[in-house]
Amino acid sequence: MENKSKTSSKKIIFGIVALAAVIVLFAVIYNVYREKPVEGGKSITIEVVDGEQKSTVYELKTDAEYFRQAMEETEGLTFSGTESEYGMMVDTVNGVTADFNADGAYWSFYVNGEYCNYGIDTQPVLDGDAFSIVYTTE
Amino acid sequence: MEKQKEQRKLSIQDIALVGVMVAVIEVSKAALAFLPNIELTSFWVILFTLMFEWKILFVVPVFILTEGTVYGFGLWWIMYLYAWPLLALLAWIFRRQESAWFWSVLSGGFGLMFGFLCAIPYAVLGAAGDGGFRDGLVAGFTWWVAGIPWDIAHAVGNFVFMLILYRPVRKAMSNMKKSRIR
Repeated sequence: MENKSKTSSKKIIFGIVALAAVIVLFAVIYNVYREKPVEGGKSITIEVVDGEQKSTVYELKTDAEYFRQAMEETEGLTFSGTESEYGMMVDTVNGVTADFNADGAYWSFYVNGEYCNYGIDTQPVLDGDAFSIVYTTE
Repeated sequence: MEKQKEQRKLSIQDIALVGVMVAVIEVSKAALAFLPNIELTSFWVILFTLMFEWKILFVVPVFILTEGTVYGFGLWWIMYLYAWPLLALLAWIFRRQESAWFWSVLSGGFGLMFGFLCAIPYAVLGAAGDGGFRDGLVAGFTWWVAGIPWDIAHAVGNFVFMLILYRPVRKAMSNMKKSRIR
């Protein structure tokens, strides 16, 4: 009778251990085969040229549709400005403020060497695009 | 033999009992709905099978139909058609077991495999497309893997509930059954 009880206990312990083992196995399967977030599908570069002609280049993989989102995703790049009906009018990049009223300075935006026709909120981002943000004075 | 046949007849009291069992399952399910994949349905299906034996044959279909009526007859509902009867069948096969640990392992294991069982209709549906059997397997596997964290939560929930509730509820049900016989 006691032997039977011992055998039964052993079976139950085996069951608990087996259940725990299967949980661990499932956790491993999940970690190996789960859908992992993929890096952005578009590769772009953003070059910032400040008032002293110092250039900083950022490389980015992004799914951003518009340039503002790509700028926001870029590590190390900071910017601010005033919101308008055309989107953000950028006046400060990487801590450097361009004050048009003081000396006619502004931040100009280029894509693949061409002046951007859109604001940063509506400028499309395509794979391989090379953007430049240049401190410009009149 | 005649007496045994008589006992298998569904009395009005049994019909009421089936209704109460389904209500208990549904209320418990609704009460825990805010906790994803933590449920008492497995616990009740096992306990009702152990205590009321063949009457579970009425409880499970009524429960499945109620679920479909309340939440809609979606693809998930197909899985209910075999998952809960399977659990009742397992409980019936092991009906002589009285260890809370044993039932905790069985209930936990069922919770862990729930997603796998759910993936079967997705695999069949995937296989029905142009990609055939291989695409079906990939679809089912992807669906199953995505839900593994929830299956683990399901397993832990089932295990803990059974471990805590098995003895007191089984005792209460036995007392109820005895008083009913008297």
